[in-house]
Amino acid sequence: MLTERLQVLMSRTQRRRVEAEARRRGMSVGALIREAVDARAQTVPVAQRRSAVDAIRALAGGRYLAPSALERLVDAERETPLRGLQRRPRR
Amino acid sequence: MTFLIDANVIVYAAVPSRYREACLEALEAVAEGRADGRVSTAILEEIWHIERSGRAGTIDGLARRAYRLFTPLLPVSDEIVARALELDAPRLGGNDRIHVATALVNDIGTILSADADFEQVRALRRVDPLNDIERSRLLQR
Repeated sequence: MLTERLQVLMSRTQRRRVEAEARRRGMSVGALIREAVDARAQTVPVAQRRSAVDAIRALAGGRYLAPSALERLVDAERETPLRGLQRRPRR
Repeated sequence: MTFLIDANVIVYAAVPSRYREACLEALEAVAEGRADGRVSTAILEEIWHIERSGRAGTIDGLARRAYRLFTPLLPVSDEIVARALELDAPRLGGNDRIHVATALVNDIGTILSADADFEQVRALRRVDPLNDIERSRLLQR
């Protein structure tokens, strides 16, 4: 529910940009600004973010791979389902 | 200053290596709101692939925790794909092109990454996590 009113000062250029973008996307300026806030502002409380980092710090079973090896690994993982599909017999 | 955080920084924060403390320092700064490090959907997907492969050891839950730390993620949009396709960096792979384009479209000029390949792109400055001076500068808002 939209119950809060906020007055925002911006430059003429910024106003033109936000109006042009809203027009291009077929939405109101207000809706565009609300969408930008949702896309930008952190939604998880600091305590939960700290707890996520603590949990990462506590991980003990990992193994170091060089950046190039990590990239190859990602590529291979992406291709795994595709290779699986190729092996499927044609109907 | 807003900067992009590469997948290797998050993975290295979770595995034993000389990078670990520096990468954890970056994640802690983001968690506490002292630094404005951002991650995209493509970067989180890479972390998930690495976790699920098992080849970087047992790092179960890393992608979920990274999501909690970095949401809202930067989306990979049509505009970003178009920019990545036009990028003048012949030796840069598809994944890295998407990351560069994500940064550029979002007016982000710096990436924290252990991957020196990003130095091919003039419009983007790479900060190596092990560079204490540059990392410290980056982690101050």
